[in-house]
Amino acid sequence: MTPEIQELLAALEGEGYVAEPSIATALFLARELKKPLLVEGDAGVGKTELAKVLARLLSTELIRLQCYEGLDVQTALYEWDYPRQLIRLRLSEGRSEDSQELEARIFSRNYLLERPLLRAITRQDRAAVLLIDEVDRADDGFEAFLLELLSDFQVTIPELGTIRAEHTPHVLLTSNRTRELGDALRRRCLYLYIEHPSLEKEVRIIRTRLPETREGLAGEVGRFLQALRARELVKPPGVAETLDWTQALLRLRQDSLEAGIVTQTLGCLLKDRHDLQAVTASDVAALVTLAREAP
Amino acid sequence: MTDIALGLGRLGRALRNQGVGVTLRDELDAADALCLVGLADREEVGRTLRIALKIPRFDLATFERLLGLFWSDEAGVPPAAPLRPRQAPAAPRGPALHWDPDARRMGVAHAAPGPGDRPGWSREALLRRRPFAEEWSPRDLVAMERLLARLARRLATRRGRRLVPTRGRGRADIRSSYRRALRTSGELLSLARRAREVREPRVAFLLDTSGSMDAHTRFLLSFTLALRRAAPSAEVFVFNTELVHLTPWLAAGKVQLSLDRLAAAVPDWSGGTRIGECLAAFADEHFRRSPDGKTVVVVLSDGLDRGDPALLAQSVRRIRRRARKLIWLNPLAGDARYEPSAAGMRAALPFVDHLGSAHDLRSLEKALAHLVA
Repeated sequence: MTPEIQELLAALEGEGYVAEPSIATALFLARELKKPLLVEGDAGVGKTELAKVLARLLSTELIRLQCYEGLDVQTALYEWDYPRQLIRLRLSEGRSEDSQELEARIFSRNYLLERPLLRAITRQDRAAVLLIDEVDRADDGFEAFLLELLSDFQVTIPELGTIRAEHTPHVLLTSNRTRELGDALRRRCLYLYIEHPSLEKEVRIIRTRLPETREGLAGEVGRFLQALRARELVKPPGVAETLDWTQALLRLRQDSLEAGIVTQTLGCLLKDRHDLQAVTASDVAALVTLAREAP
Repeated sequence: MTDIALGLGRLGRALRNQGVGVTLRDELDAADALCLVGLADREEVGRTLRIALKIPRFDLATFERLLGLFWSDEAGVPPAAPLRPRQAPAAPRGPALHWDPDARRMGVAHAAPGPGDRPGWSREALLRRRPFAEEWSPRDLVAMERLLARLARRLATRRGRRLVPTRGRGRADIRSSYRRALRTSGELLSLARRAREVREPRVAFLLDTSGSMDAHTRFLLSFTLALRRAAPSAEVFVFNTELVHLTPWLAAGKVQLSLDRLAAAVPDWSGGTRIGECLAAFADEHFRRSPDGKTVVVVLSDGLDRGDPALLAQSVRRIRRRARKLIWLNPLAGDARYEPSAAGMRAALPFVDHLGSAHDLRSLEKALAHLVA
């Protein structure tokens, strides 16, 4: 393995993110090639967490843009501070002020409200981590706009001129595949698909994030989750659910899985009515037995 | 370096031949990326290529297989990837739809003198209640298409959530209003307004062409085609034992499509039914690539299935999860005594938003309302 990737892998783990080699490879390539990284995967596999960890790792600011349908440029990029501009105009009334100077003043950076995307490219000291979360929820129009921004990292504001990025931010885009992204956007990025973790990884994640978990319980939880995910589920539980559930078990002072408690706490893992109905009490008992068998 | 470039070019071409969309740009990215990692580690090269070539998850198996073919220790010429077999224009199977060049419409050729010759009679009103299973004259068909086109236009007026500036009525847009006020030295003289944008509807039709649907197929197909004229983004599929994506056949300029060719493209026209498999194929191959939670999926089928009801239920559920709405139109449901008792229909029912009949135009008109809502 390339030494830089190995280093990154260790650093990620040091920050509490147990990563597959492919994740470290993707981060490394994105950084070296200065390309945005598009991360896809089921809910709860740690897509957003990856950006947070990366920001901690680079000790820089994490700038997050949550996408939604109807997201527009005023919320994502910049907006003029109209009320303040108006007040400034009113104050200048009666005074003999040079109109051109006044105009230059009210359309200066002081009156510009920076939204996440603009803030990400105007940071002075170092490159920020820009997380564009759930980009599939924004509409096609916004996607096209994003495409332009991600290729040049510059923004043109009619009244101000073009603002170029001081430092190209590290861009992570996440998508839940609620809608297929445009091909152009996908091509502009590097692409990473995060799978659910393997048993060994999952146990290590539990132990890293919740150190008070005993080894035995972590193993049982891991095996239970692996078996549960093998079933046909509407919403397979992700790592986030695993951690929630383990925490719940810890809070209930459980040292080992027990069918009754598992059934009661199944809501931590399965968050869909169909799934909850599909996994019956006898299924739970079978899964628990399976999980408790020593490997 | 030239070796890498050559290998990448070949891998890219092999991937494209297998239907994995890899562009020159991706290959350039991959070349850049390969310069950064160790080439000795097969695993790492695989990971790097996957990331830089942007291989979607469902194409991962194809990618791994091809990479395996290309990755050999003796750095010789990689084996030529097998070309995907092109679909040859096969001889028409089964009874082809009839094409009458004079009528320019599909359907039965012999025009029986219809009741339309009587005065004071509205062709449309009668048409609406006329069961599809009966014979239709070419004139009826023309009238039907006209009616359909009008109904379909209603489809194209769904509103999205995005607010766009409007000159008419709408919500006040304070930001733009202020911005406009700057022109008049801060006096708010008029309000700018925004309203929800008009959205093109996303509809996917899945039309059952099996033998049991034969009487209805032609009309349902022309219904779908008329809808497509009003909403060009609509996707059309037909299925019986296999799923066929019809939309490419209906591309602009091919409106005068030859139905013989169409029939040739659809295997086993009027044959048996395997709804479960076909819907699974739709969910896997097509709907997976365009899932947006905005598509309305319309299945036109009688639900008489020879396959496994469990598979059908599972497929329907998967489609429902990704669709905005799932509408099932069943020609049999026009009968008042109809109960969804066929195993396939029963399996699908829990996941269907609306089960409607599709035996005459009026019922389709009703179904349209559900499409728009």
